[in-house]
Amino acid sequence: MISISDDIIIRTVSRVLVPFIQIYALYVIMHGHHSPGGGFQGGVILGASFILYLITHGLEDAKERMSELKAGLFSSFGLLIYSGIGLLCLIKGSNYLDYGTLSTLLRVVPAQARSLGILGVEIGVGIAVMAVMFSIFFDISTGGVLPEDEEGLGTRNE
Amino acid sequence: MEVTVLVQAVYKAFEILEKGKNSEKAREEARELLYTSAKFTSETKAITEKQEARALLLSAKQPRLALRNFTLTFFILFAFWILLSGRFDYFHLTLGGICSVLVAYLCHDLLFFNIRLGDFRTRARRFLLAGPWFMGQIFSANLHVAYLALSPKMPIDPQIIRFKTKLESDISWVGLANSITLTPGTITVDIREGEFFVHALDQKVAYDLNTGEMEDKIAHVIMEADHVYIQDVLDVASIFGALK
Amino acid sequence: MNNFLLCLGIGLFTLVFLCLYRGIFGPGILNRIAAISAIGTKTLVILLIMGFIYNRVDMFVDISMVYALLNFIGTITAAKYLEIGGEI
Repeated sequence: MISISDDIIIRTVSRVLVPFIQIYALYVIMHGHHSPGGGFQGGVILGASFILYLITHGLEDAKERMSELKAGLFSSFGLLIYSGIGLLCLIKGSNYLDYGTLSTLLRVVPAQARSLGILGVEIGVGIAVMAVMFSIFFDISTGGVLPEDEEGLGTRNE
Repeated sequence: MEVTVLVQAVYKAFEILEKGKNSEKAREEARELLYTSAKFTSETKAITEKQEARALLLSAKQPRLALRNFTLTFFILFAFWILLSGRFDYFHLTLGGICSVLVAYLCHDLLFFNIRLGDFRTRARRFLLAGPWFMGQIFSANLHVAYLALSPKMPIDPQIIRFKTKLESDISWVGLANSITLTPGTITVDIREGEFFVHALDQKVAYDLNTGEMEDKIAHVIMEADHVYIQDVLDVASIFGALK
Repeated sequence: MNNFLLCLGIGLFTLVFLCLYRGIFGPGILNRIAAISAIGTKTLVILLIMGFIYNRVDMFVDISMVYALLNFIGTITAAKYLEIGGEI
């Protein structure tokens, strides 16, 4: 069970830093073309921000912000965006993840359509990586045992 | 904020005395009001009790303040986005706007946790004017610690100082702790129930800390701990009553 | 200017080895954690100096901010683990 940190300095500084870390992670995802970054790196930083909140503010407060259910849903959602864009290209009659055919859908030139297609794929990857990192950390650190499960032992009928 | 409460209490007490034409019942009521306000702002109250009273009075987590927090957070995060990415074409600015809205929606109650009364512009102006003073402190303390570290017999005298602080909210505690740690020669070790434990390197640095100048500067910037002594207010009230 | 920055970088790099000595031989784990955190801070400054030398500061600033963040989170996690004695 991850307890809340006693130290007021760590709690306050983490609470102020978490929004800035998340904006930085989204910046890294969106500017994958121009500077080092991209989907996976931004997803790792976004997951690290949730892990920072989990460590300093304890289990209950962090579960209000990102529960296990939401982490599972977000990982599937990220994957849906990724393969959805690929399937969309397939439906339009070309190869899988061939973004050039999206140019008629978005009404831009094919080069711009490729750029936007890659951006969409990176966003999907970032969301999926964030969710998976958070849920791996959550599962390993709590050992799969949550406070409400401990009381349930002994009341099951078998 | 407590000065405002006391001043309003004194005005109300005078109104009660005027309306009751200085009768015994009116005087009793006015005295009751002044004692209640004095108890609220009393300096001997424990810090946790004061925080609970203040939270009840200000209702720190009202839902109607969520919109104000949300817009302020959105503007700060959007400014940070523009600082990070130097591109000002419509596409990137729109992306920045969407990302700022998303993060501000998820984290709007994190940046502005303690709702404070007080003028925002005054605090911002005082913050900008107090910045150079802090840098000057860091500079002079740097020179002193460099002298200590480089002299051959290294005359340090390490000690841990423990002091109570007059600041109230957790942002100001953390601001004071960070300022003390940034100044070379002193490190904040712990904060426990409103007491600071600071490790200082030698006697001169400890003396600079004990004068309480940094605490006064932070209280001046954040506009709290502006206490007025109760006995002065009560003395002045009786003089006004005699003059009438 | 490049030579000055190069000398600065090499100086910091030799200081890293002093911290590494503490990280290997420091009696107890707290010394080692403090040494690794100091090495992280020096690495961040060396990355920025490299950015100036290669004349592409904007790229290296992004990388060093990520490294500072990871250093911070790592030190806080290690400290909390040691304080509670076996649990995070």
